[in-house]
Amino acid sequence: MALMAILELSDISVRFGGLQALTDVSFRVSEGDIVGLIGPNGAGKTTVFNVITGVYQTSSGQVSYDGRPLRALRPHKILALGVARTFQNIRLFQNMTALENVMVAQHSRTREGVFGAILRTRAQKREEERIREKAMQALVFMGLEDFADEVASNMAYGLQRRLEIARALGSDPQTLLLDEPAAGLNPAESLELMNTIGRISELGVSILMVEHDMKVVMGICRSIVVLDHGVMIAEGKPEEIQRDARVIEAYLGQ
Amino acid sequence: MKRALYFLSLLLLVSFVAVGCGGEKKEEKKAEAPKATGIKIGSLSPLTGQYAADGNDIKNGVLAAIEVMNPEMGALGPVTLQAEDTSCDPRQAVAAANKLISEKVTAVIGAYCSSATIPAAEPLMAAKIFMITPASTNEKVTESGHKYMYRTCGRDDDQSKAAVKFTQEYLKAKTIYLVDDKTTYSQGLADNVEKLASAAGLKVLGHEHVNQGDKDFSAVLTKVKAAKPDVFYVSLQNSAAAAPMLIQIARMGIKTKILAQDAVYHPQLMELAKKDAEGVFLTFGYTDKETASYKKFADAYKKLGEPGAYSAYAYDSAVAYLKAVKAAGSTDPEKVKAELMKLDFAGASKQIKYKENGDSGSNYVIQVVKDGKFDNFWNPETGQLYKK
Amino acid sequence: MEVFLQQLVNGITLGGVYALVALGYTMVYGIIQLINFAHGEIFAAGGYMGVILISWMVAQGYPPFVCLGVALVLAMGYCALLAMAVEKLVYKPLRSSSRLSVLLSALGMSIFLQNGLMLTQGVYDRAYPGEMVRGGFEIGGAMVSYMQIVIVGITVVLLVGLNTLVFKTRVGKAMRATAQDKTMSALVGINASRIISMTFAIGAALACAAGIMVGMYYGSVRYDMGFVLGVKAFSAAVLGGIGNITGAMLGGLIIGMIEVFAAGYISSEYKDVFAFIILIGVLYFMPTGIMGENVDDTRV
Repeated sequence: MALMAILELSDISVRFGGLQALTDVSFRVSEGDIVGLIGPNGAGKTTVFNVITGVYQTSSGQVSYDGRPLRALRPHKILALGVARTFQNIRLFQNMTALENVMVAQHSRTREGVFGAILRTRAQKREEERIREKAMQALVFMGLEDFADEVASNMAYGLQRRLEIARALGSDPQTLLLDEPAAGLNPAESLELMNTIGRISELGVSILMVEHDMKVVMGICRSIVVLDHGVMIAEGKPEEIQRDARVIEAYLGQ
Repeated sequence: MKRALYFLSLLLLVSFVAVGCGGEKKEEKKAEAPKATGIKIGSLSPLTGQYAADGNDIKNGVLAAIEVMNPEMGALGPVTLQAEDTSCDPRQAVAAANKLISEKVTAVIGAYCSSATIPAAEPLMAAKIFMITPASTNEKVTESGHKYMYRTCGRDDDQSKAAVKFTQEYLKAKTIYLVDDKTTYSQGLADNVEKLASAAGLKVLGHEHVNQGDKDFSAVLTKVKAAKPDVFYVSLQNSAAAAPMLIQIARMGIKTKILAQDAVYHPQLMELAKKDAEGVFLTFGYTDKETASYKKFADAYKKLGEPGAYSAYAYDSAVAYLKAVKAAGSTDPEKVKAELMKLDFAGASKQIKYKENGDSGSNYVIQVVKDGKFDNFWNPETGQLYKK
Repeated sequence: MEVFLQQLVNGITLGGVYALVALGYTMVYGIIQLINFAHGEIFAAGGYMGVILISWMVAQGYPPFVCLGVALVLAMGYCALLAMAVEKLVYKPLRSSSRLSVLLSALGMSIFLQNGLMLTQGVYDRAYPGEMVRGGFEIGGAMVSYMQIVIVGITVVLLVGLNTLVFKTRVGKAMRATAQDKTMSALVGINASRIISMTFAIGAALACAAGIMVGMYYGSVRYDMGFVLGVKAFSAAVLGGIGNITGAMLGGLIIGMIEVFAAGYISSEYKDVFAFIILIGVLYFMPTGIMGENVDDTRV
């Protein structure tokens, strides 16, 4: 497949004080691709996400998105470019309703400022209505339409996971970073999740996911990147990765 | 872009200063740099905070006196002023007094609030430094037996007598309601009035206390309105507190006669309360503004602004001290004290002659606010109205 | 009964003003956990800006309500910009340092602004021009002045406006999101710096309106007027549950009511003492205040 790389990491290194979190990590996510990022605990998977979304700065190396370097961009700017993410431990706005959580995500896609908001101009009202409709679409997509007015903290765990994805979709992303979306889900829910990810991919969204559940990873990822102690030890198709000696060693230990 | 934003923010912070063009600007002439020789006097008064208006009047009165007396001091001069701020706070007043002691002043004009004057007197007396208060009317100020303590203004026991006499004889009141703001001066005076009034057969319907710095008197005024007294006696520490009270009295439709006291005397009262100050009575030391000595003071004061309640008293206090120093030929406390006791001269405010305890007598009269001005209204000595 | 009604009217007026100022403390605390000591000074600056603008406009002969309206809008704008400038120059550079350093610089800013006001505006009280709204009427023995009606009216409009802004608009959602989780809100595309700056601006505008109304109500302003009112408004914010908008409104009203009723029925001398006793009492049983955190979604 000669697809264009939408997200490209070249020789990324991250140091926190004396700790080397990532060393020369390079890989790419092509447009419309589903890439899995795996590795034992502490391998640096979430760090990769934080680098891409601008939460951490790299010590060296470069992330480029759509051919454009992301270095020194602040998170909200990176989101505006079309990169959205979810969290390993759910980080919803607990006090807001499901609908509000998704509506917030469209902040970067809206224009009017505080004055329009206070004065409730017609343009402002129309925009608010548009945001509400789009947010509702995202909820429907994730099968959450019945919970729109539920306060996030009152929702069941599985629903909160789905709401996180809905919120990420709310910002109209081109690329979605999913951090352990299957964590804590039962087998039926996992299956549904795989289905959902497939549907998101069909919308043309590129996906990079960190996941421990190998059934999920092997089931839907088209290529897989393996990290261990901050170093990339393998990259390839699922069936190649399953046979890779270094990967097996990293998981099972020496 | 970012730099421009920072610059803009900085400009905005500084704009704060630019906005000030509408503010009052009272250029104060700095006293000349102190020399090794000469006479250094200090002033203690609230230069900042809510009593700043009266406090600066005192400082300015002393400055006017220095300007008038300097040419007369000859080899003893020149006279310089070190003005210290008490904020009307007892602790700060003591600290300021100690600072003046270390600056080697020989006399202090001040303080304003009796509650600051009394504690500040202790270290000054121990250092044998004269303290002449132009404004503290509480009796205790001269009753502690301090050797170097003098008072140019009147006393509250005399002031309360004048107030009660006016209430009874002129206003023919049967009932009175009092309010004070709990300072040594304001509460002491209100207590005196209450005592004298009930002894004179008036019915005291209530005596409320508010806090210094309060601006909302709605609760007290609601009670006053319900009690319907013939006279409402207002003993607040200054005009800045009295003005909002008068505004609220008018707003609540209270028609009772209002009698206040000397601390409320200040041009600021009418500036702040405007029409609502009209018709307010107050007790204040009588000053004849037509005398030559007053005019001399007024001339010297002109560039410092309009004289306030205590400007003339502060002026007289400083003049009295400098006259005594001149007569004694030195600043030696014993010699100066002997000369101070001999003084008897026409001051700006009144005839200045100190008694053995340091007092200079009271001459309280009733004034009224009329057409935005304080007018002499009734003389308690004679029981007569002043003629215009 | 007469006293009760009268105090109720007075309490609502005073409480509304406290609420307006308390909101600024609570919103800023909610979003960056900073007790913004300089907020009281913004209130005083608003009072001064009001007197400067209104005096000028009255002198030009504009009708009172035009003066008041225009002065309110301009002064609120000025205070909003001033607060944003303070935030940008003083608090923002310290955002990643310890909370204590920010707190101390807030204290310093308070002193700086108060002294700035003193130096530029003088130590004397500054009078508001005339009473723009005179007169009033009586209900059941209680005197209600038109001035009180104007003040309560403006307060209600501002409070409703704020509520709409925070709970009905996306700017409000972004504020609530930033208050809850700054990293996460950045990751959903919210420019946290901008939202924080906006929060300062909104709080300052409300305090400014309060400053103008206090100036009109009592007839004058003084450079240090922000201190006492600031302490009371801050207590109101704490009483209501700091960080909580509805709490601040409620707290302001409660502190105002306690003050006038304690003064009316117990002693005006100890009215502040009662207000603080109630505050301590409430905090003893409800450490997070009346509408403490996580009660509902009203936190900013």
